[in-house]
Amino acid sequence: MSATRGHLLALGALVVALVAVAFGVRDQVTLELVFTFLLYAVLGQSWNWISGYAGNISFGHAIFLACGAYASGVLVTAGWSPWLAFVAAALAAIVLAVVTGFPTLGLRGHYFSIATIAVAALVEACVRVVPWLNGANGFELPIRNGWSALEFAGKTNYVLLALALFVAVQLATLALERSRLGFYLRALRANYAAAASVGIDERRWKLLAFAASAVMASAAGVLYAQDTLFVDPPSVLALSVSIDIALIGVVGGLGTLWGPAAGALVYVVLAKGVALHLGGSGKGYDLVIYGAIICLIAALRPDGIVGTIVKAARRRRGTLGADAFAAEAA
Amino acid sequence: MEALSTFGQLLVAGLLTGLVFALVAVGLTLVYGVMDVVNFAHGEFLMLAMYAAFGLALVGIGPLVGLPLVAIALFLFGIVVYRLFIRRLLAGPPEATVFGTFGLLVLMQGLAQALFTSDYRSVPDPPFAATLHLGALALPQAALVEGLGAIVLTGALFAFIEYAPAGRAMRAVSEDRTAATLMGIDVQRINTLAFGLGAACAGAAGALLVLSNPAYPTVGASFALTAFVVVALGGFGSIAGALLGALVVGVLEVLGGYYLSPELKMVPVYLAYLVVVLARPQGLLGRR
Repeated sequence: MSATRGHLLALGALVVALVAVAFGVRDQVTLELVFTFLLYAVLGQSWNWISGYAGNISFGHAIFLACGAYASGVLVTAGWSPWLAFVAAALAAIVLAVVTGFPTLGLRGHYFSIATIAVAALVEACVRVVPWLNGANGFELPIRNGWSALEFAGKTNYVLLALALFVAVQLATLALERSRLGFYLRALRANYAAAASVGIDERRWKLLAFAASAVMASAAGVLYAQDTLFVDPPSVLALSVSIDIALIGVVGGLGTLWGPAAGALVYVVLAKGVALHLGGSGKGYDLVIYGAIICLIAALRPDGIVGTIVKAARRRRGTLGADAFAAEAA
Repeated sequence: MEALSTFGQLLVAGLLTGLVFALVAVGLTLVYGVMDVVNFAHGEFLMLAMYAAFGLALVGIGPLVGLPLVAIALFLFGIVVYRLFIRRLLAGPPEATVFGTFGLLVLMQGLAQALFTSDYRSVPDPPFAATLHLGALALPQAALVEGLGAIVLTGALFAFIEYAPAGRAMRAVSEDRTAATLMGIDVQRINTLAFGLGAACAGAAGALLVLSNPAYPTVGASFALTAFVVVALGGFGSIAGALLGALVVGVLEVLGGYYLSPELKMVPVYLAYLVVVLARPQGLLGRR
């Protein structure tokens, strides 16, 4: 269990450091980048549950982000508390995960991935058509200030909220890695036929993971809407949003506890930070650098940043055998 | 009567659109069939070909004369990309090819944006700009040329895979890599050839598409997304499936655009994909 203690210590250290940043740093742009980093780390980890641990690569995860963002938009516009949006978003995300996951989670490989693109496109079409979701116009939230409105003039409280969500998601993932669900998912990922033959019900456990993953992403969606105060189909439902989430998951390392955070750090520093310094993303330099890094990781370190570190550590401890066995089974 | 003639016009337009999708999809499905790789950068290969055809047009070489040149250039580009990059991805876990080719997509889009800016580049005075009238049907000549090109290209590729020795070797590799190796087939060579051919298909497609489309950095993505659905609908790795899937998708998209709204034109396409794949998880003509 010393590994668990190590992870908890690392998480604690990160919390202390980021709380210090939240209160110590005055520069609002930097704080916004930290907030974006934490939000994408949560989204990447949520994606990691179904695509990393369970092995169903999704290119449609933005629909769950949209559940949260639109829950905020609808409820706040109707005069309700944005805190209720967390509940409404979670319920919507669970329903959407079950309705879309039940038929598709049994599809193999690329057929599943393309199905997630199709599902996300259909969800976007629905959002554009349903009148009370405001179609292409989306929602603009009124500018307010304070905890009851969940809106703040400065970015400090947003960083704290995102940090709290990040900690909750990391703890849940730590628990997943040590739980029956976690073992089942990894068994299904390694070899679903073998896993099914010992009585693991693929649909049931993957649906559970998918629903949990959807709830996490929806909470991030609420925070996103409360921060940007604007929600419309392109900003939360575009294919590029889903692909950004997936790339974060894989750059860090599929099925690892710290992978999504590492991937989000690379994404925010490169895609957002570089764009800021090179004067907007219109010139494409940010894409060149980010694309080159993804290419290099895929070719040289296909296990991702954290995946490579984990494997190296196991090799030193001489416990790589279990991994090799799992790879053999796959 | 008028509703019927509108439907006929839409059907023909849909089939022509479908042939354009087939043009983009055959290269994708060829690469998948031989080496199990979905090349997510296939659309960017197409984009590169469109810029190349545009450049040739600027120096006075029209798209149809330029087509073989662009196809050969893309063939060589594909070989280089395979040797330097894809080969390494194949040595890693399966998801490495997915994200590696995604990285290539981002990199190529970024380079195009940095080098050529986001401006739309259209071939000046393109040939086949007129419209052909057959009774009540109005057929843009460019679409007819593109459709004809798609049929020739798909037919040539199909004949190559069926009858040429290298094509038979490709089929052997796609059926059983280990057995093919034991029979003395150099899998790396076959993979290289297949990836080059897939890129050459994108090259030919790009040279034809500039007849009716401008070149810009993200032009490939718009075609490739549909091509992925086409390939999955027809069955990954099946060339006949890609052609059938492309025609189905083309017709559904045009009908959806007319009877629903242009914004919702892809809704029937995606619904059809989900229905097909839930009933037949391997797609229309795919192998299990």
